[in-house]
Amino acid sequence: MIPPSFEYLTPSNISDAVALLQKHGDEAKILAGGHSLIPAMRLRLAEPGYLIDISGIGGLDYIQEESGQLRIGAMTCEAALEESEIVQSKYPLLLDTAKMIADPSVRNMATVGGNLAHGDPANDHPATMLALRASVVAEGPNGTREIKIDDFFPDFFTTALAEDEILTEIRIPSPPSASGGAYLKIERKVGDYAAAAVACQLNIDSSGSIENIGLGLTNVGSTPIRASSAEELLKGKKPDENMLAEAGRLAAADSEPMEDLRGSAEYKRALVNELTQRAIKLSLQRAEGSR
Amino acid sequence: MEVETASKTIRFKLNGQACSIASNPVTRTSDVLREELGLTGTKVGCDAGDCGACTILIDGEQRFACLTAAGQLEGCDVQTVEGLAKDGKLSPLQQAFHRYGAAQCGICTPGMLMAAQSLLNVKPSPSREEVEDALGGVLCRCTGYSKIVAAVLEASGTETQELPADADSGFGSRTRKVDGEPKLLGTEIYGADTAPDDSLWMRVVRSPHPRATFVLPSPEKIIEENPGLMRILTWQDVPGNNGFGIYPHIKDQPVLAKDQVRYRGEAVAALIGDRKSIEAVTDDDLGIEWVPQDAIESYESALEGKISPVQEIHEDNLLARGFLKKGDAESVYEQSLIKAQGSWETSYVEHAYIEPEAGYAVKRGQRLELFVSTQTPYMDRDEVAQVLGIGPDQVRIIPSAVGGGFGGKLDCSVQPLLAVAAWILEKPIRCTFTRPESLASSTKRHPAKMKASASCDKDGSLTSLSFEGDFNTGAYASWGPTVADRVPIHCSGPYFVPNILAKTRALLTNGPPSGAFRGFGVPQSAIAHEALMDSLAEQTGIDQLEFRLKNALRKGQKTGSGQLLENSVGQAECLEALQSRWQEWRKASEEFNNHSEIIKRGVGIGCCWYGCGNTSMSNPSTMRVGINSEGTITLYNGAMDIGQGANTIMIQICAEALGLPASSFQFIMGDTDLTADAGKTSASRQAFVSGRASQLAGEHLRTQIIHLAEAEEDANLRLDGRTLWVQDKNGEHSILLSDLLPRTNGDVLVGEGTFDPPTTKLDENGQGSPYATYGFGAHIAEVEVDLKLGTTRVLRLAAAHDVGKTVNPTQVEGQIQGGVAQGLGMALMEEYVQGVTENLHDYLIPTVGDMPDIEILLIEDPEPLGPFGAKGIGEHALIPTAPAILGGIRQATGVSIHRIPATPDRVLQAIQQKGMQA
Repeated sequence: MIPPSFEYLTPSNISDAVALLQKHGDEAKILAGGHSLIPAMRLRLAEPGYLIDISGIGGLDYIQEESGQLRIGAMTCEAALEESEIVQSKYPLLLDTAKMIADPSVRNMATVGGNLAHGDPANDHPATMLALRASVVAEGPNGTREIKIDDFFPDFFTTALAEDEILTEIRIPSPPSASGGAYLKIERKVGDYAAAAVACQLNIDSSGSIENIGLGLTNVGSTPIRASSAEELLKGKKPDENMLAEAGRLAAADSEPMEDLRGSAEYKRALVNELTQRAIKLSLQRAEGSR
Repeated sequence: MEVETASKTIRFKLNGQACSIASNPVTRTSDVLREELGLTGTKVGCDAGDCGACTILIDGEQRFACLTAAGQLEGCDVQTVEGLAKDGKLSPLQQAFHRYGAAQCGICTPGMLMAAQSLLNVKPSPSREEVEDALGGVLCRCTGYSKIVAAVLEASGTETQELPADADSGFGSRTRKVDGEPKLLGTEIYGADTAPDDSLWMRVVRSPHPRATFVLPSPEKIIEENPGLMRILTWQDVPGNNGFGIYPHIKDQPVLAKDQVRYRGEAVAALIGDRKSIEAVTDDDLGIEWVPQDAIESYESALEGKISPVQEIHEDNLLARGFLKKGDAESVYEQSLIKAQGSWETSYVEHAYIEPEAGYAVKRGQRLELFVSTQTPYMDRDEVAQVLGIGPDQVRIIPSAVGGGFGGKLDCSVQPLLAVAAWILEKPIRCTFTRPESLASSTKRHPAKMKASASCDKDGSLTSLSFEGDFNTGAYASWGPTVADRVPIHCSGPYFVPNILAKTRALLTNGPPSGAFRGFGVPQSAIAHEALMDSLAEQTGIDQLEFRLKNALRKGQKTGSGQLLENSVGQAECLEALQSRWQEWRKASEEFNNHSEIIKRGVGIGCCWYGCGNTSMSNPSTMRVGINSEGTITLYNGAMDIGQGANTIMIQICAEALGLPASSFQFIMGDTDLTADAGKTSASRQAFVSGRASQLAGEHLRTQIIHLAEAEEDANLRLDGRTLWVQDKNGEHSILLSDLLPRTNGDVLVGEGTFDPPTTKLDENGQGSPYATYGFGAHIAEVEVDLKLGTTRVLRLAAAHDVGKTVNPTQVEGQIQGGVAQGLGMALMEEYVQGVTENLHDYLIPTVGDMPDIEILLIEDPEPLGPFGAKGIGEHALIPTAPAILGGIRQATGVSIHRIPATPDRVLQAIQQKGMQA
């Protein structure tokens, strides 16, 4: 049983859900796939008075590419990403990420929106979305607004969503030709949270130089981290081994890991360093391959 | 906040039938199925989405029932394990599980079946990789996953392995588990699956501090405020001795702590009432005044004496010592030219059986009946009796099916608490530990801090070995003295060593009690002796396997304790069986390394031996077998089946001795009113000791039948309904069973056998014959290490074990595969930290994706004392794995890991340090 008493609410559309959020403020929580919230409630880490189950709201489960954007409905589950032909053909970083999340039961239930809205720096999609320079759509009482992913994670387990807003969609710019991406994650056992992980998305010009690059880091700080110094170093360059090594060092310097069971801060920096180099190399290969 | 959510009608399809329930919509689906619909086939191992035991299908896809709110089922198609079989006939997938022995304890089986079914629904012929991915969310602690994957592949027709079609044919055959079907159908009853309808629930309140004094306020107020909370039990409520423990003279762990606690997780009070109420009252609501104290959390602080001792009666925190001296190891080592030495430290390791501790107790007249998940019903009976202050004959233990034990269910958990509650409230009481509670309160593998050295002559013959080990036994004794005793005997490995000096200490700290965990300290000490063997081999220029073969114990040699080995010493044969693979694998890894800079491979080897049975003490087993007037044969099996297959092999052995087919047997397991005492399921003793007793019982029954029929000794028996036919060279005699007078339990003929393995006491130098026989084994493991990330993957492993004679190949293989999985976990990832890893996502055990291919080579050097030559395998299956993996890491990277587990950060640090030195 889930310990605290609460009201279970099942709005049939988003505006009703927003109205409920408005009414109940910080006493309410959105239940999507439930794979973060239900365990948190069990441990009394979350004790909402009102539980708003949005799983009955239709129309939030889609993966569509149009007008230069990939739009993912917030209720899309990880398994749907894995199975999506668009994702498989054009978004290797997303595919890598979805496959690395936990196990099949979780991937059948856990949603992309929930993975972001939980604000957990150990979750995998935040770094991926940083690398993809995504934005999220939030719907509130005054309509919708688009929030850049760089502004979405202001603090530990905190997001830019207002109390009365619901995350409804993720928008990812469609990659230009000759793009590649990769997600590399070190886990202590299959299905574990990351000791550290690196997401990379880039595209190259005809000479093989990097035009644009995004690098996101998982579980090495109180928020997901953009490795911006490494991005700056590589933009416009055709990196050799030395430059890759320097990019790894810069990314490690941008990370702020804490020691825990998954290793010392020093170890996690070493992982970021190495994984950054490998993720860039793999992304470059994939970009070449997609020409 | 007074918001009580109302029940809501939820409609869905359940196993093909329309179903409508009125339920709180955020109740977990697992609770709805188990508590409201009575479908207990869906198991709950963690309630947090970490173990996958509750995996069900929702609209054909696998989901965790514990993380799915009931409200989310609206309109869905739900399938549980109960829906797999049609008309009581196992589905093809279930049949494949049965044939392969894919269910051992069976607690993960429903989840595994459903996860596999979800895959087969969409991919009728999946690849091995797809199967492994589909099963990735379901943990199994028994099987090492090999047979589960094989069964799914067989069910899909992708891969088949040759198994004899008629597998139920006596000793040595792949007889399917006699208790397999209920485990596959989801009808098996585990500790949490049943209780009388009028049972109250118990929730135990535990210490959040490793050491503290406390005052528990008077409970009247909180009971008044919570009408469903009926009673709060404290130490004052214990009618007999408020202490329990393994040893008759050490009952040092309180049932409920009085005034002070010595580890985080220690029980201080028990709330009794309806389930909802006892879960709603938080520990904070009780207003316990805790005064935390400085805790002893390291070997150093245990020995320094700066902090007051963990237990007043052990001023120096020294619970027990072990000692063995043979020859003069110190001076031989001093004079030796070829020496090796090192120090190693291992961690607390959790048993992580997927079934948490559970059961119920009920008072019947002046007797207490306890239904519980246990490895040792007779010890439970005696323990509960002394806690209640009544006679053992006033206690009846009825074991549930056991969802994994591995030594952890040798200690009391729910038993004394349930007994006290049911005795004084005079109502049935049930309890199931939560996963965090199980992790915090239960015993662990002893962490060890070891120093060892060894020497050999220039030809590579071992000349000496010295070992010093401190074992952190936690706050209470549990099996600490056993570990201190067993390690000195085994710490020189399965080798002939003329000079040995071994000293062990079991030290008390404010950690969880360390108890029995598959090997009683021997797996820890094997890490030390195997690293020494590698180093000596390297120095002498002899191949590591050849070095071990040269020194392997053989018949006619004496062990470290001076015991002459006369029979069943298959160590050399195990090594010889691995030779060709060893050479081939080493060559392959060298070739790989020639072309790989960052990823390096290595092959390591580990050897083990293990004394079957309790150390230097009488540990008899008695078995009974009876035939009733209907012609039903019943084995009254006191040897607990905890998944390893005792129910099956005892019948195989008894049937062989009796001369009637195993398929005509039924069994009763562990009920202390109905079976005889067959001792504990521990120390790799059941196949050997209880197996021999089963053989003797079968022979005893056979002798009576032969006499009754006045037939020749070598007559053939045949059972045809109520008639027993006895055929010898003079013709066929019949015995009409219904003509015979019933004796006990309605049986008309009863055979009984008792076996107590012969051992002697050890003298002050640890000399004597502590075990009647030993198991032997060796593993080789190929590993791959990423030099930049520190990650290790085990690619393949081959295991050779001398089992005397194989009673059932499927089950022996299953024991070894499961042992390898636990050994791999111990080597690479498992480390329990009090207050930190109290769930199954922070405490890691291997998943299917972490396991290598395992090849098994069974060596049979018969043990004359064992049943038809058999001896135990339970523990030595695990012992060589970690040494082989650590040896592989050494071979791959050139670095030795001295802090176990070899987690990626430790491996990378060791690589970097070596790089800096270079």
